Amino acid sequence: MALRELSSLEKYLGLKKPNKYSTQGDKKVPVLQNNNGPPLVGLGTIASHLVKEAKRPNLLGDSAESRAVVQQWLEYRVTKLDGCTKEDTKAILKDLNLYLQDKVYMAGNQFTLADTFMYFGIHPIIVDLSVQEKEQYVNVARWFDHIQRCPGVRHHLPPLVVLRNRIYTSKHH
Amino acid sequence: MKLFVSEGNPHCLKVLAAVEVSGVQCDVQYVNHEERVVPFLSRPALPALLLPSGLHLFSSNAICRYLFEVSGEDSSELCNQWLEWEATDLQPALLQALHLAVVQGKVSEVSKVLQGPLNYLEQSLSKGNTPYLTGEAVSVADVVLWAALYPVLSDASLALGERASIKAWFDRGAVMHSCQSAAQKVLQGKGLQGMKSYMQRQPAPPSSQCRDSQPCNGNPAES
Repeated sequence: MALRELSSLEKYLGLKKPNKYSTQGDKKVPVLQNNNGPPLVGLGTIASHLVKEAKRPNLLGDSAESRAVVQQWLEYRVTKLDGCTKEDTKAILKDLNLYLQDKVYMAGNQFTLADTFMYFGIHPIIVDLSVQEKEQYVNVARWFDHIQRCPGVRHHLPPLVVLRNRIYTSKHH
Repeated sequence: MKLFVSEGNPHCLKVLAAVEVSGVQCDVQYVNHEERVVPFLSRPALPALLLPSGLHLFSSNAICRYLFEVSGEDSSELCNQWLEWEATDLQPALLQALHLAVVQGKVSEVSKVLQGPLNYLEQSLSKGNTPYLTGEAVSVADVVLWAALYPVLSDASLALGERASIKAWFDRGAVMHSCQSAAQKVLQGKGLQGMKSYMQRQPAPPSSQCRDSQPCNGNPAES
């Protein structure tokens, strides 16, 4: 899973030479074999490295603030989203929905690695949502649809149908 | 810039140590454990940093990273790796260990829970052969790991066993002083017991197979 995600990210970034990966431990943490130095361990760490390798530093944020925000969501993805229970899922969607209420992207007005990374992580959760639930988390749905339509992001994942307009009009909020 | 912390919360130790080490000016405010500082999170999340832009950072590692970057020190890839390891591997074990020691009083079981991450850290430090985690100088990774481990490493009653490289790293003065003063603020000189009221409010760590479903503050979802 994580390795497919990294290979999708490589393609999105336009990295010509695919990297060599392995995994370690029970949790199958990805490891990047690095010719120029010691291996890099961890999904967020490797993803940040690929962005630098592709010379797209803006994807990590363009200020100290946005860089911290991007790293925070990368951490959120690997600590909260991955392996969350059904109960956690509802709290997570509720929080994200409130967070995205006044934002276009995870880090505000700029597309960053946090969007790609959270999109990959939340895809399996969105797959399981009913139409009604998607409406309940309308800001998450809007953001999700926006990101899956960004050229080159989706790759290994199937597109999901997300309605941007409510069809159950009786429910507000 | 405003930093919200609460007494007895081990994550606050990290950010208070980072404030001292980085020397960044910020207004520190002590609040109750249950105070919801971050408007979009349904569970209370401390520490939290209110950024000049009005956004909140709610991850202690992201806050430490930000404080270091503002003081002119960018985190390296090796730093990123340690911070990610701290969040994904060390923290779950630490939470479980603190829960055992502070809430359940099963001090003798702590060593087993921490064995894996501590051995990993010991190996990395002895292999790396540098005084600090990422090289010759203190980085944000040292501060975060130091502060995270301070409560357990400074408590002799846990009998965690001797690990030479960790001991040398932990005793290497540079950041020790800042961590100790942060620990004094957070733990009030009560050691692990200083965290009791915080730990009692935390969901039990998912060590057993069937994890209790914690009621989250919101309405039960209507599905």
